[in-house]
Amino acid sequence: MPPELPPEAPPAPLILAFDTAGAHCAAALLRGTRVLAERILPMPRGQGERLFPVLEELLAATGTDWRALEALAVGTGPGNFTGIRISVAAARGLALALGIPAAGVSGFEALACGRAGPVLASIDGRGGRLYLGRIAPGRNPPPLSTRLDALPAALPEGFCPPGCTVIGHEAGRIAAALGCASAEAACSLPVAIGRVAAGRALEREPRPAPLYLRPPDAAPARDAPPALLP
Amino acid sequence: MDRTLIILGIESSCDDTAAAVVRQRPGQRGEILSSVVFGQGDLHAAFGGIVPEIAARAHAEKLDIAVEQALTEADMALSDMDAVAVTAGPGLIGGVLSGVMCAKGIAAGARLPLIGVNHLAGHALTPRLIDGIAFPYLMLLVSGGHCQFLLVRGVDSFLRLGGTIDDAPGEAFDKAARLLGLPQPGGPSVEREARGGEARRFALPRPLLDRPGCDLSFSGLKTALLRARNRLVEAQGGLRHQDRADLCAGFQAAVVDVLAEKSRRALGEYMALGPAEPVFAVAGGVAANKAIRTELETVSQEAGARFLAPPIALCTDNAAMIAWAGIERYRQGGRDDMSLAARPRWPLDSRSPALLGSGRKGAKA
Repeated sequence: MPPELPPEAPPAPLILAFDTAGAHCAAALLRGTRVLAERILPMPRGQGERLFPVLEELLAATGTDWRALEALAVGTGPGNFTGIRISVAAARGLALALGIPAAGVSGFEALACGRAGPVLASIDGRGGRLYLGRIAPGRNPPPLSTRLDALPAALPEGFCPPGCTVIGHEAGRIAAALGCASAEAACSLPVAIGRVAAGRALEREPRPAPLYLRPPDAAPARDAPPALLP
Repeated sequence: MDRTLIILGIESSCDDTAAAVVRQRPGQRGEILSSVVFGQGDLHAAFGGIVPEIAARAHAEKLDIAVEQALTEADMALSDMDAVAVTAGPGLIGGVLSGVMCAKGIAAGARLPLIGVNHLAGHALTPRLIDGIAFPYLMLLVSGGHCQFLLVRGVDSFLRLGGTIDDAPGEAFDKAARLLGLPQPGGPSVEREARGGEARRFALPRPLLDRPGCDLSFSGLKTALLRARNRLVEAQGGLRHQDRADLCAGFQAAVVDVLAEKSRRALGEYMALGPAEPVFAVAGGVAANKAIRTELETVSQEAGARFLAPPIALCTDNAAMIAWAGIERYRQGGRDDMSLAARPRWPLDSRSPALLGSGRKGAKA
């Protein structure tokens, strides 16, 4: 009997990560968790026109063909509704054409990337609102949308456990309001999105879906129909 | 016309998520190999109209599924396609943008050319998909969001002879249904109700018939219907079923009269050009209304033009028309690059003065 060879770790997948959930067009190319290239362009609008040229520049700079990619990682928000859809729709189209998985990574998971302890991740919800999500090992409560001046009362019991670190938008003021520590994100947004995806069982990933956290602005029809007589 | 083309079409400009595969062999008509349409009626039912954000949310999570289904039904892979054509406007921007981004992803990943298609051109070129007719022909595009007479002179050449200056007839039907407590979409429910009604009981206006030209208006008709309804409600505390049927019949008859008279005028302008094989074609969801269809057919025959109404599934929003417009543009060398923009406003005829929307943002459609 030949001696049994030790199982070889599969090579880390080549992952293209991107995000347009905020006022930016951000992308990174990673081999597993190792960063090969990244681009972050501040951009208040126009992401729909710029995203693919930015992705193509990133691939060209590293001599990578679309078909060499093994997975996609896409930021699913919360954030600008249109911006989230730009990236999610693009990722779904690419995944279909390339026959590779696309992992949806929330902005909360990206902010908590690289930290072992519990994180309270905060994202700018515009107009004085905040999106807050807790990321810790095990089960996490559903993220929510609130205001800075409503803290800490607006948080459900246990949302921010002892030892939680606040990271993200207005982290210092949120930490002061909650009596805990704040910190900077460990890495840039597109890199974090790629790294979170690299830690997942990619072949079992569901299709990415936007994380809106707010219902659409719509009111039921106002004009009541007339009474119908017999 | 040198070789067979197979194009994937994607449409998401209003409340239908659609994908289709269309093939054209040289010198032949188009063949629709698959045409998938996912509607969103249920999502919008409680709001009495289409809510753009709700529509956009649904499109973003259904487009790739519609494309997969269209490929499966056509029994083809993306590698069999020659290009991807996508509606790039005009329409509800959230949906259009989702479609454009999904199409870019497919084009990049499958190394296919990308073609941005004007949604209205998709409707306006449908008669050539089904019947291979020659230019120039006259087109009435009449739907929930649009109403215009177009002289179609070429794949990229449209002259608008007239259009609505306010609401589209489809919008007016929806509003009428809401005022009378009928379900959405309003077109089919008003038409059904009108069958048992007496059109002459209520005197409703025929807006703009007293003015020359082919422009139309439906806003005043809507208001007149509201007033007639309110008078009945005030007098008797509600509407009887017969009142509702009569109001529907009167409303529909007014829309029919307006469309018929304006079509007569548009046909006059068209026939004066002396087309060799004159054709008057309709498209859009409102063209599904039988009373409207019948009257337009009569008007067309009186003018000496062949009347062409595509099957209902090709009158309402679909992606086969986008794939077909893509084939027509492809044969003319039309290609777009990865910076293709989604446009909420994109008039087919940019030279005629704007009827709807103006100022900084420009004409709507």
